[in-house]
Amino acid sequence: MTMTASELVKDIGGLVTLPDVYLRISRLIDDPKSASADIAKAVSQDPSFTVRLLRVANSSLYSFPSSVTTVAKAVAIIGTSQIRSLALSMSIANSFAGLPNELVSMKNFWRHSLFCALIARHLARQVRGCDPDTLLTAGLLHDIGELVIFNRLPGQSRDALLLVLDSQDQLPVHQAERQVLGFGHDQVGGELARLWNLPPLLEECIAHHHVVADARRHPRQVALVHLANILALMAELDTFDSADVPPIDPLAWELTGLDADCVEPAVREAQVEIAVVEQLFT
Amino acid sequence: MAHPPEGSRPEPPDVLPGFEHVRRSWNATHAAYAARILPGEYYVTKSEEGIYTTLGSCISACIRDRVSGIGGMNHFMLPASGKDEPAAWTASGLGAATRYGNYAMEHLINVILRNGGLRKSLEVKIFGGGRVLENMTDVGNRNIAFVREYLKTESLSVVAEDVGDIYPRMVVYFPATGIARVKRLRSLHNNVIVSQEKAYIDAIVEKPVAGEIELF
Repeated sequence: MTMTASELVKDIGGLVTLPDVYLRISRLIDDPKSASADIAKAVSQDPSFTVRLLRVANSSLYSFPSSVTTVAKAVAIIGTSQIRSLALSMSIANSFAGLPNELVSMKNFWRHSLFCALIARHLARQVRGCDPDTLLTAGLLHDIGELVIFNRLPGQSRDALLLVLDSQDQLPVHQAERQVLGFGHDQVGGELARLWNLPPLLEECIAHHHVVADARRHPRQVALVHLANILALMAELDTFDSADVPPIDPLAWELTGLDADCVEPAVREAQVEIAVVEQLFT
Repeated sequence: MAHPPEGSRPEPPDVLPGFEHVRRSWNATHAAYAARILPGEYYVTKSEEGIYTTLGSCISACIRDRVSGIGGMNHFMLPASGKDEPAAWTASGLGAATRYGNYAMEHLINVILRNGGLRKSLEVKIFGGGRVLENMTDVGNRNIAFVREYLKTESLSVVAEDVGDIYPRMVVYFPATGIARVKRLRSLHNNVIVSQEKAYIDAIVEKPVAGEIELF
């Protein structure tokens, strides 16, 4: 009777697909025989992606000294692996446009995701072994399962949110979802990442951002996205009072080696950057 | 108030007549029971318990007798004025639309006074009226303007407020102490809160307030 997270995700497999441009770039990057010229060519075959890539390359997100006018130059400067995460990040919003829902506006959904992405990237610069651009992507995708359950199980998702409100906002959303649906958006997002063959690091960050202790291969990155998610709520609600947001798992501080001093600069920087970035990604 | 031992909780405090239907639950953070009110409802208590609600563009007035500690909270909004009612929003609150606001405010105040509260000891806090949906006319502001005007007319002073802005809110109010805790809610909750408020306003527009309100 009840559905599992993986059944739910299989169910939407045909509705939400990763764009061809991401798959082509991904294949080329994994292929040792391909050159960066091949990647630039693959990018150029998608005009709308080309335009957005150049906008991103020239934005304050990447402070290059001179303007980037060609795809080849953008690929050379940004780096092939970053092009892959950019392609993923920028296309994902589009692919989810086919999965509308009535519980959260796309603008508000991506705004939270972008806050998390910017803060994850900021914090990654202070943590050994964390690549800022990979963490940007992880932050952007961390709540992707929410769009799946809001679309496929709207009544139960609404009941879960009502449960959170009835609890005086004491019960975390992912736990309310487990009570009502039997699984949370974090688990659904993890299943989707697996279905899409996303890199295991992204899969773990998406699947375990609420339960850091469950991370196996990339605990430090998962811990960082856990922190970034809660700091993103601070940025959204414009508060530094920890009572206004869900508690931070102490394990996340331990794994990243960060402490409370990192909070305010990361939140403030994201609040400044969000305006520019929101235009790039929507 | 002594905190109960871990794992046990006291019996809920006595409920005033007329509020038996309101659901109350134990809140571990505040170590107290709290009554949950929805749009269009109100709750009054003489006990050491909280009252909580979530607000989008609606208003909650929290009113208590600062001497005896009896007090309560309401949760209301004014319906959008119909095209045939151009004067509905004129100041003195005589238009049909403001009747719902007057009704909510007077009921709360009357029940406080009927249970021993004194008008001269009343203190008021107001919350809500957020602009939670973009591209929507600012109904929150209209609700704020209404409640301010109402309290001015009734010569009741506002000791604290948190109104307007873009956030939905969770408000917990303890009439016995007058303490109100306001928490901004993330935008993930916007649509659920707005749909609850819309269901309430649609219901009252369909079934208008009947009869006169008894004034003390």
